[in-house]
This record gives sequence, structure tokens and C-alpha cells, in this order.
Amino acid sequence: MRSEASDEDLMLRYGRGDARAFEALYLRHRLPLYRFLLRQVGNAATAEELFQDLWMRVVNSRGRYEPRAKFTSWIYAIAHNRLMDFYRADGRASFLSHEESESVLEDTPAGEIAADLRLDRKRAVERLLAALGELPDAQREAFLLQQEGELSIEEIAAATGVSRETAKSRLRYAVAKLRARLGKES
Amino acid sequence: MIEQRDEELSRIYRDAEGPRPPQRVDDNILAASQRVAGLVRRPAAIGFARRWGVPVAVAATVLVTSTLALMVYERQSGLDAIAPQVPRAGRPAKVSPAGPKPAVAPPAVLPPIAPAPPIPPDAMRRDEVRQRPGGSGASSGGPGPAQPAFPEVPRAPEVPRTADALRKREEAKPAPVAPAPGANIRAGAIPPQPPVPDAQRAFDVQPPIRPVQAPAAARAAGALRESATTPQSAVADAKERTPEKWLEDIRKLRLEGKMAEADRELAEFKKRYPDYRLPEDLP
Repeated sequence: MRSEASDEDLMLRYGRGDARAFEALYLRHRLPLYRFLLRQVGNAATAEELFQDLWMRVVNSRGRYEPRAKFTSWIYAIAHNRLMDFYRADGRASFLSHEESESVLEDTPAGEIAADLRLDRKRAVERLLAALGELPDAQREAFLLQQEGELSIEEIAAATGVSRETAKSRLRYAVAKLRARLGKES
Repeated sequence: MIEQRDEELSRIYRDAEGPRPPQRVDDNILAASQRVAGLVRRPAAIGFARRWGVPVAVAATVLVTSTLALMVYERQSGLDAIAPQVPRAGRPAKVSPAGPKPAVAPPAVLPPIAPAPPIPPDAMRRDEVRQRPGGSGASSGGPGPAQPAFPEVPRAPEVPRTADALRKREEAKPAPVAPAPGANIRAGAIPPQPPVPDAQRAFDVQPPIRPVQAPAAARAAGALRESATTPQSAVADAKERTPEKWLEDIRKLRLEGKMAEADRELAEFKKRYPDYRLPEDLP
């Protein structure tokens, strides 16, 4: 239910000094972005720090913003870059290579979600979140960008700085793994 | 296929309770955004301040300075105006060269004063001393009722008119309360001077009493006070018969052949005015 003004309009208005436009923009995107970051780093304190830093970058970019792409693509790209910085600083083994993903995919049987989980939504959610935490960072990111940011394959590719095919593969692997986990352990 | 969202997974994911950022994080971000938005608008304000800041500051400084200067000047002129209540010949009223005070234009406003010889310094001093006592301002200015409005010393033999006017004034009018000089000047309208103050001015601007005569006159006044039955009559007598008049009377007595009486009067005169230089015809 996006109302009157588009994200891009709001951002442009904010660039001209309209603080209310930023407020509307923030309220519109704060929850998905926060969930995206929290599920990527798995730590609330770090997620808060990244979240705040992300929005400060938005604030500081107000004058340079040009609506060449969707606002969500732009802001999730900033979030991705911020995550990369965090991973580098944290010394965390970063994204799996595409080849590794492929090999993982080979071992993952495509499955159906177990019938009992279809009935027990709470258990299904727990299972899904647990499975999400076990995904490689890149695949989880692709899944979260699709779920939280509502980005298309192209937009995921643009936000993460990879080719469309890579983004597509990551997303495919993520979905396959999640379904396999939900079906296997039921 | 995979490009389509997996609706089943999406439904389960959406059922997950969404964590929320803490309120303080929201507050921090929104506060920062508003601060920055304020900065975005500020250039216009800065431009305005740059354009008008200096002129406004200069104008304010000039305004405050001139107001203070005017206040100080008015206060000072208010104090000064107590003494020179009426500008006299040879001593123009004190008017500030800078202050735009149309009310302080004595020659144009005040009634004309008869030309008079310059006032000797001691007379001026005496005059000021007479006007100053009792402090300053309209409430306390001017001689009180108990204080004689004019000196009792017969000072002006050459201006008998003054003495007459003085006597009339003393008879007709109680001791006047001098109007507040500052108030008159500030109000811009000095009320028309009645004849009495005119006489006062004429009295003030009498020709100088010779230094030799001044102490003699003072002593004569003292003698008059002592010899008179009442102080009031002594004063009247002294004022009525000035030394000149007295000498004239003596001459008349001699011309009438009343030599004894003339000698007695002359002796009395010498007693009263021991330092007075007698004319050649009255040895």
C-alpha cells in the first residue's frame, strides 16, 4: 500500500530539506532493512549499529541522490556494501563462490515442505529461520533481498554487484536448501 | 521458475515475528535527518544574515549609542538647568550644540530682558547660590517660603525702579516658588514671565556694586536690621533709602538750612556706610 509519494520522490524532497519526507521514507523501510541486517549478522547490537550507519549514509547522500534506479535497490546496495565492510573488518569468511554453491546445490535434493510443518506454522517459522541462518551469506542475502526488499533478480544483482546469473543462482540455491531443510526434518 | 517467489516459503517467512529496531535508534536517525534538513535550509538564512547582519548591527549600535548619549545629555542638562533658570545678558543659556532641543532657545522664547551691564562675578555667584539651595528638580527647586526671595542688602542705588518693584512684590505676593527649570525647558514652553520675575532679573543684572561698596552695603544692611524696631521695617527702610537717596536727602536738608539735621544725618550715614566715598559737596 505505497501511498501518494514514491520512495524516489520522498528522497528527492528530503534532499531539498523536507525532513518529513525522510520520516515517511524511514517508516516505510525501517523494519525490512532492520530484519535484513539482523538476519545477516545474527547479532542485535551489530545489526543496530549497521542499521544506524546505513541510514546515516542515506542522510548524508541526500544531495547526491539521483533516481536512476529504484530507491530500494539503492538503499539495499548501501546495506550490502556496509555488510561487506563489516565482514571484512570481522575477518569473517565471506560469500561462497559460485562454484561452491553449485556443488552444494548438487547435493541438495529438491523437496517438498513437510506436511506437518504446513499445519504447524510456528514450527515452520522456527525451522525456516534456523535454516536461513545456516545458509551461506551470499545465498541468504539473495533470499532476504527478495523477501524483505522485494527486489527482482536484476535488482538483487545490481544491489550486490554481481551478474544476473549469479544472483539468480544464489537465490535458487537458497530456496532449494530451505525447502530441503523444511522437508527433511519434519 | 525460481525467478518467481516461492510463495510457500514467503508465507512462512512472513509469519516470523519481525524484530524491530529499538526506539532510541529510531530517535537518533530521525533527529540526525532533521538536523541535516535544517542545514539544507540554512544557506538561505546564512545569506540573509550575511547580507543584513552588518548593516543591522551598525544601525543597532548607532541607535543604542545615540539613545545613551541623549539620555546622558538630558540628565546633565536637567541638572544644569537648575542654576541658569533664566538666561541673562552676558551669560547665554546652556544649550547643547548637538542636542536637537527646540525648547531650549531662550532668546526666542523668553520675554525680552532689558539690556543691562555685565554682572560681576561675585554677583553671579551669589545669584547661583541663591537658586541652588534645596537641591534640584521641580519639587525642591526655588526658594522656600521662609527664605527671602531677594537679598536684604540695598544693592542697586542706580536702579531705584528695581527696589520699588521688589517692595511691591514683597507686599503683594508671598515668596514665589521657582518653577522647575528643567521641566520648563523640556516641555518646550516657558510660561510667560510675570512682572515679578522680570524685576528679579532686573535686580540680578544691576550694574556692579563697586568692590569697596559691597561690604559697606552688607554692613549697612546689618546695621539696618539691628537698629530697626522690626526686621521688616528695617529692611523696608534700607530698601527705600539707598545711599544715594540718603545723600540726596542730606543735600536737601542743607539747602533748606537744616544744617544740624543734615550733619546728624551725614554722621548717621557715615556710621552706616563708613567706607562709602562721599561726594565732594558733602565733606
